Amino acid sequence: MTLLQVRDLSIDYFTSTRVIHAVRGVSFDVAPAERVALVGESGSGKTTTALALMQMIEAPGKITGGTAHLKGEDLLALRGDAVRSSRLRRVAYIPQGAMNSLNPVLRLREQILDGLTDHGQRPDRRAADTLVAGALEGVGLSPALARAYPHQLSGGMKQRACIAIAIAMKPDLVIADEPTSALDVITQKQVMATLIAAQEDIGCGLLVIGHDMGLMAQATHRVIVMQDGLIAEDAPVGRIFHAPRHPYSKMLIESVPTLGRRTETAAPAVAKPSGGAGLMEFDGVSKTFGGGLLGRGAVRALDTCSFRLADDHPQIISVVGQSGSGKTTLARMILGFETQSAGEIRYRGTATSAMRAGEKRAYRREVQAIFQDPYGSFNPFYKVDRALSLPLENFDLAGDRPAERKRMEEACEAVGLDAGEILGRFPHELSGGQRQRLMVARALMIGPRLLVADEPVSMVDASLRMTILGNLQRLKDRFAISVIYITHDLATAYHVSDYVLVLHRGRIVEAGLPADVIENPAHPYTRSLVGAIPWPDPNRAWGDSRTDDTGWDARQIIRSQSQGFELAGAA
Amino acid sequence: MYLQRILKRILTLLAVIWAAATLNFFLPQLAPKNPITEKLTQLAETSGVDGNRIAELTEAFNARFGLDRPLWERYFDYLGDIATFDFGLSIASYPARVGDLIGAALPWTIGLMVTTTLISFAIGTLVGAYAAWRRDSVLMQAVSSVLMVFSAIPFYLIGLVLIYFLAAKAGWFPISGGYSIFSIPGWNWSFAVEVFHHSILPALSIAIASIGIWAIGMRGMMVTVQGEDYMTFAKAKGLTPRRIFLRYGLRNAILPQVTTLALFFGQVVTGAVLVEIVFGYPGMGNLLLESITLFDYPTIYGIVFILIVTIAVSMLLVDLIYPLIDPRVRT
Repeated sequence: MTLLQVRDLSIDYFTSTRVIHAVRGVSFDVAPAERVALVGESGSGKTTTALALMQMIEAPGKITGGTAHLKGEDLLALRGDAVRSSRLRRVAYIPQGAMNSLNPVLRLREQILDGLTDHGQRPDRRAADTLVAGALEGVGLSPALARAYPHQLSGGMKQRACIAIAIAMKPDLVIADEPTSALDVITQKQVMATLIAAQEDIGCGLLVIGHDMGLMAQATHRVIVMQDGLIAEDAPVGRIFHAPRHPYSKMLIESVPTLGRRTETAAPAVAKPSGGAGLMEFDGVSKTFGGGLLGRGAVRALDTCSFRLADDHPQIISVVGQSGSGKTTLARMILGFETQSAGEIRYRGTATSAMRAGEKRAYRREVQAIFQDPYGSFNPFYKVDRALSLPLENFDLAGDRPAERKRMEEACEAVGLDAGEILGRFPHELSGGQRQRLMVARALMIGPRLLVADEPVSMVDASLRMTILGNLQRLKDRFAISVIYITHDLATAYHVSDYVLVLHRGRIVEAGLPADVIENPAHPYTRSLVGAIPWPDPNRAWGDSRTDDTGWDARQIIRSQSQGFELAGAA
Repeated sequence: MYLQRILKRILTLLAVIWAAATLNFFLPQLAPKNPITEKLTQLAETSGVDGNRIAELTEAFNARFGLDRPLWERYFDYLGDIATFDFGLSIASYPARVGDLIGAALPWTIGLMVTTTLISFAIGTLVGAYAAWRRDSVLMQAVSSVLMVFSAIPFYLIGLVLIYFLAAKAGWFPISGGYSIFSIPGWNWSFAVEVFHHSILPALSIAIASIGIWAIGMRGMMVTVQGEDYMTFAKAKGLTPRRIFLRYGLRNAILPQVTTLALFFGQVVTGAVLVEIVFGYPGMGNLLLESITLFDYPTIYGIVFILIVTIAVSMLLVDLIYPLIDPRVRT
């Protein structure tokens, strides 16, 4: 007995110049209460396939063939108002961008109820209250939040609210489109636990779209790998992770960083106290936001934080922590976007607060930033060469044309980009991964000593993350550049860094070599971070979450509702 | 907390009004012309004033209006007067008081502008939102182009065209004025009907242009909002198109429009000077024009002060209303 039966689904995009075959004759099944992963890189057709089940393909896209029978009824043959009424009632959708998926001007209560109202349910006030409270409690949110507006919720809470809305009508099939892509590891785990608990509770099928194989290994029963609009492999988790048949699946799985296989870099660096000034030194630095005469409470984003980055040889320091741990504040202070409230930041022995104009300018040149969003970090009107040459002009380093060109080519080559291919193009013509490399190349143009990389790979496909980070590692040795790598992803930090700092609520709670900190975490917070990493191994349990800082007890939900969470591969 | 913020905001309002009023006082003092000499010269040309005694007369009038006193003394007097909305005597329409002149003109302008603005805001916003919602339809694309054309034509040009066709040629509407010169203003039906009849053309000329402006702005906002993630989610929730349009689309797209509306109201007092002139409408616009041409400083002061107050108050209204319609700015 299958719940969903998709046969020969084809979707084409009719652009003005050509027809793009986004999905090419895809067939798969979903059994009742089964959790199926749909993985692949951006552009592989996974989201398009899922949206087709709700007939939500927007022009110029068009479903050109195939059927999708849900409990015997063809979803693709629905017409008129039946399309609308099958959404939410039969097939529900949990959107990708939970940050912006809720209507900012409506209270949660109304956003939960309006879907029901438009599907013919008209509960009276009392029944509606019970319903909303039940929906919120089902995803681990307090019923008091019914009166809250979306901006009052954290990212994880918003994503849970989206789950509550989507499953309110107990649909037969739930499609979750990268439900945790914007969340840190601990929140990701809590949200996935919530989603799975809810799914098991109503017994629906679940289609999880994503590109993180580790997450899929922990959360689903079966994995469908898509590539270029075709299904590359469709296998139970128990098998695909141990014996992937398709080279593409194998590549996806191997691109996920795991512990215990750390490749040592050329010069294993230890942050030992050496004589002389360090490259970058934090001496009892605090940062407090707010306060003042009329303000309410001040928020301490960073609390007497001290560390030292040696100058004698380059190294990569990872600063890890959840959102709100103060890691971005730390990065912004290094880059000079924020001024510390107390303490001193020293760059090569000189306090940043005491720098003269010339020193400040040199500091700005030697300390470069790599940002999180590869899409928003380039002026869309400038071609790549201009984006690369601007820093040179800015610091009066521009030589003659051929010299400039040579420098660009070197920078591109250093980050693994083909200069001939990308120079002269516009940023929007490049892929996310290419743009992310380009950002590194741009920083390299003016010969930096220190790179501050704030979540540089979180918006890049999982399979590319380690490649880009590995590149940073090589740059470190080749150009003697130190890197401060800011992330919530311990697994990547484990592999690329020479030293790890764990930030928790503005304090450094643990610091040391990656092998020590991550393989044998001492602090409970570090343990919970490590425990939240989804390993690409279905037999390895996704540890229990010991601490929880979101004000919501994840353990309770996990224990009470998702007993089967530690699943052994359903083979 | 909310009360405290309102209190703070009102203090800011008073500070803004004071600062603007001070500028309003000192700037005209820099003008090279003396209003009294100007008026007397005019009179000398047209009537029996002796041209040779202008200097002497100016002195006498300066004493009469208190203009011979030191600047700072006049400044504090001025502050005291405007605080009680007393703008003194008009020079051009002496011995009428400026307050009375403004009082007579203000209701005409406010009546015409507020109604017209509200109606065109409502229509323009709806049309604009719908044009974005159905932007693939040929009809709505045509509507958008027409609106764009109209929004680019100045009010008074539309007014002239309307006067030519509907008043002069067809004779359906009076050519000018706020009411017929033969009737006596009063609170009765026949006069009300007459006022309404006279206001249709000026109102129409403002509405035609401003509906276009509102619609274009709203259309742009609505297109942006349609790309938001919550619109996709709303669709995936299987909501009715009507609800998605009103509660998800329009409700969010209208937010910046409301700011613009409040700012628009700030300029209602003088917003349509040219329209009033074209239609000979007895409002603030005509009064302002007259007092500028005759260098009637007290009246100019008065009008500008009223303008400052309305702009400042409408800013205050934005700040007070906005939290009610956008929960994100409530803290």
